[in-house]
Amino acid sequence: MSAVVKVWIDEGCITCDACENICPEVFLVEDDTCIIVDGINPGEWGDDIIEAAEGCPVDVIMYEVADGDAAPPAEDTPAEVVEEVVTAEPEAIGEGALAGVMAGDRDLHILFGSQSGNAESLCSLIAKKATGYGLVGHVHDMDGFDLASMSGMKRVLIACSTWGEGEQPDNAEALFNAAKGAGKTLSNTHFSVCALGDSSYEFYCQSGKEWDEVLAVMGGSRIHDRVDCDVDYDLPAAAWMAEALSRIACVDDSGTFHEDLVAEMIAHAAGDTASASSGDVATVAMPEIQLVANIFRYNADKGETGVDAWACAIPGHHSVLDLLRTLKATQDGTLTFRDGAADDPTTGVSVNGRLVLPGLTRLCDVVRDKGQGSQIRIEPVAAYDVIRDLVVDYSSYDNLRAASKPWFVGRQREGTYVGNVAMGTMDAVVATELHTSNDISSPQLLHATSDTVPYNRLYMGPAMVCHLWNRSCDPRISDSSRTAIIESLAATNGVKSETDMASIHRQGSMGKIAAKSVLQAKTAVLSHDGYNGRHGKHVWWYTWSIKSSGMVNETTLYRTVLGPMGLVNNALSGVSARMIFGFTRTGRPMFNELLGMVAPPAGIGKMPKQFNSSVENHHEVISIFNEMDGRF
Amino acid sequence: MVTRYAYHPGNVAHSNAIEVADTMPLAAQSLGIELVPLDGATSCGAGIIRQANADLQVVLNARTLAQAESMGLDIITSCATTAATLHEDLITLRNDSRLMAKANDILQRNCGLTLTGDVNVHHLLHVIVDEIGIDAVKNAVKNTFEFSIAGYYGPNMQQEGACGGDDVFDPDYLEQVIAAVGGQPIEWSSRTQSVGVPGIFSEEKTVMKQTSAVLADAKSEGAQLVVSACNLSHMLLDVYQGKAGKTTGQETKVPTIHLTELLAFAFGHHIDRLAQLRTRVLVIGD
Repeated sequence: MSAVVKVWIDEGCITCDACENICPEVFLVEDDTCIIVDGINPGEWGDDIIEAAEGCPVDVIMYEVADGDAAPPAEDTPAEVVEEVVTAEPEAIGEGALAGVMAGDRDLHILFGSQSGNAESLCSLIAKKATGYGLVGHVHDMDGFDLASMSGMKRVLIACSTWGEGEQPDNAEALFNAAKGAGKTLSNTHFSVCALGDSSYEFYCQSGKEWDEVLAVMGGSRIHDRVDCDVDYDLPAAAWMAEALSRIACVDDSGTFHEDLVAEMIAHAAGDTASASSGDVATVAMPEIQLVANIFRYNADKGETGVDAWACAIPGHHSVLDLLRTLKATQDGTLTFRDGAADDPTTGVSVNGRLVLPGLTRLCDVVRDKGQGSQIRIEPVAAYDVIRDLVVDYSSYDNLRAASKPWFVGRQREGTYVGNVAMGTMDAVVATELHTSNDISSPQLLHATSDTVPYNRLYMGPAMVCHLWNRSCDPRISDSSRTAIIESLAATNGVKSETDMASIHRQGSMGKIAAKSVLQAKTAVLSHDGYNGRHGKHVWWYTWSIKSSGMVNETTLYRTVLGPMGLVNNALSGVSARMIFGFTRTGRPMFNELLGMVAPPAGIGKMPKQFNSSVENHHEVISIFNEMDGRF
Repeated sequence: MVTRYAYHPGNVAHSNAIEVADTMPLAAQSLGIELVPLDGATSCGAGIIRQANADLQVVLNARTLAQAESMGLDIITSCATTAATLHEDLITLRNDSRLMAKANDILQRNCGLTLTGDVNVHHLLHVIVDEIGIDAVKNAVKNTFEFSIAGYYGPNMQQEGACGGDDVFDPDYLEQVIAAVGGQPIEWSSRTQSVGVPGIFSEEKTVMKQTSAVLADAKSEGAQLVVSACNLSHMLLDVYQGKAGKTTGQETKVPTIHLTELLAFAFGHHIDRLAQLRTRVLVIGD
C-alpha cells in the first residue's frame, strides 16, 4: 500500500469519469470537475489513488506521498524511470510531438458556398470549435475569395450547399469555375468537404461532390472523407466536423500530417472544447458599410413623433443592436430602446419592415440600397403601443397570455424505470415535432407578425395560438386539458379570428413554424365545430365548389356563408351596388357572358357568375378529392 | 424575343375580376410574353382548402404544376395568392419526398401525370422586372399615367423565395413599373400589409378595418389611384372600400385597378376604358 497522505484535483478536469470508475470511494465526478469525497483517509486508498492518477488523461489528479512531495504519477516513480522509458516513450513523444504540431502556423481556412445561410452558419461553428484543437479559424465567403491564395494554405475545410438542379450556390459559382481550370496548385494543402443538400433531388449534394473532386484534382490531400448531409444536417455535419478537425489539426507548420497523433489530439480537444462550447459563435468579418439609419422617435411628454436620420460607417457584421448602442453612446443619449442579451425576446424591433431581434441581426443582412445609398429604417413593433422611441408596451400581449390560461396540466401515464427513478417516455418523432414547433425566438415578436392583431385587440394572436396548439399536441397533457385548449382556440377571439396567415408565414423561419401551427389549429377547430359558423362554411363551401367545377364559385360562397341577412347587409352598405356597377368603373361590358342575364344580379358588372364551366378533365379533380378526402 | 409561360388566370379572373381576363393577354402580348393556356388548372385553393385538408390542396396543386411541367413551361399568373400558394406547395413537395411520392401515385393513377418539381411559378410583376426588363415596359408605353399611384402588393407575393429579386419587406418592383408607365409612385408603408381577404366572410369587421387602414394610408400619402398586384385584395380595395370607410370613419374612396389593367391601358389597349379611368381619377376623384 502506497503511503498517500493527501490527494487533490488540479484545474483542467474533463469529467471523463475514469477516476471515479477506479476508486469511487475517493473521487466524485460532478458536472464541471471532479472532487475528493469529504472525510476520506487517502492512506486507505493509496494504490487506487495512484492508479487513478496514472490513468487520468489530463493529469489533474495530484497526490502527496509520505515524504512530502506532491507528484503526478509518471514523474514520481524514480526507480523505475529508466525501465519505463520504453513504455513511456510513446507518451513522452506524443506529448512533445503534439506540442510540436501545435506550434507555428495554426491557421485553418474555412470556405462556405451558401444559398440559404446554412453552410455559412456551419462554417462559423467550425471556426468556433477549431479553437479547441489549437487552430485559428478564418471563415471565407467563396464570393470574392482569391483562389491563388489557397496554394499557401495548409488546412482548408469547405462547406457547400447545392442549389437548384445540382448547381453551385450563387456565391460559389465563380470560384468553382476558376478552380476547375487552376491546375495542380495545392501540393501542400489538406482539405475535407461537407456537402449540404436534399436527397429528394436527383443531384443530391452535387456541389459538395464537385468541390471534393476538384480540390483533389488540384493536388490537395483529402484528410478526411467528404460527408453528404441531407436536410437535417446537424448530426452528420457535427460528426464530420469532429473527425475532420481532429485530423486537420494534426497537420503541422510545414504541412505534414501526423496521423499517429490524432487520438491524442482528440483527447486534447476534449479538454478544450468543453470550454469552447459556450460563448459567442465566431463571426464572419464583413466590410464597413456607409449607411443612413432612419430611426423612429416618439416622446410622449411632448407628444412628438418623427424620424431621426444619422449617417454612419459601421462594419457590416455588427448587429442592429450594436448600431443602436453606438448611436446612443455617441449621438443622442435620449435614444430609447430595449437593450439586453442578443436573444432577449423583448428587444424586438422592425427593421425595414422585418420583425427581428436586433442583437441577432447583422446589418449587412438588412441594409438596403435602392439607389440612394444604403438605408436602414428602424421602427417599433407595430402591434403594440409605443412608450418611447423603439420601446413598446407588451402588456396587451401579457394580458392575452394570462387570459388564455397557458399552464400545463399533465396526466398520469406509463413510465420507464431508469436507474433509481421512473421517467416518462415520448416517441422520438413526436418529441422532435414538439421541439421544432416550439422553436420560437420571441413570442412577443410572433404576436406582432399577424396583420390582424392591430385591428382586433381581443384576438389572442399567433403566439398564443401556437403555444396552446403545441400544448394540445403534447402527449403528456391530460385529456380534459386538451379539450379545454381546443375549446379555447375555437372560441370567439381564438384562432378563427386570424384573417390572413400569409403575413405570419413571411416572417422568416419563426413565421413559417408559426403559420404551420396556426393552420393545424384552424383545421382542428373547424373539424371540432363541424364546419359550422361562417368560417367553417367558408372553408367547406369553397372546397366543395373546387370539387364541383375546379374553380371557386363565389356566388355559392356569398349565398351559403353570408346567408340572407349578410346579403341584405351588403346591399344596404353599398357593396352589392359597387359590384353591380363595377362596369362603370372598369369600362368593361355590363354582362359577364350570357349567364349574367340568366340569373341576375349574378354575372352583372363585377358580380360573380351563377355557374362556372368546369376545368378541362374535371373528372381528374373529382378523383383526387375522392382519394384524398371523402367528406366533400 | 417571345417568352413562353403556362398561364394560370388565378382564382377570380373568371368571376369578380373579369377585367383581368380581358387585360392580361393584351398586356402580355405587348411585352412579348406568350401565354399558353393551362385549361385544366384548378383554383390554387387560396389557402382556404388547406384549412380543411392541407394534403388535399397540395395534391390538387401538384396536378396543376405537373401539367405545366409536362408542357416544359413555368407558370405565370397575375394573382398574388395563386403565385404564392402554388409556390409554397411546390416547395412543400420538393422538401417532403413522401408527400411527393404520394402525390405522384395519385396523379399517375388518375391523371397520367408525374411531377418532378422541375417547374417554377412566377407572378407577372416578377417576370416583367426580372425577365422582360423594365425597359421593355417603357418601350411599349403609348399612353402615360400622369397620376400619383400607390402600388399594392399584399403579403402573399412577398414571401421569401417567391418574389423574384425583389425585397420581401421593402419591395420596389411595382414602383418601377408605375414609374415606367409615367406615374408617380408614392411611398407608403401599408403596401405589403394584408387587407384580410381570407377572413372577409367570417371576420368582416376586422377585415374592414384592415382594408380601411390600407386605403387611408394610400390616400394620406397623396395617391390618386391604387394599383393592386393582388387580384383577390383588389376586390376589397375596390368593392368594399365604401363599407370599409363607413366602418372606421376614414377617407377610403380612391379608384383602384389591377396591375394588368394599368399595363394594358398604358400599352394602348382599351383606350375607352383608360379615358373612363382618367375621368374618374381627375374629375370624379373616386
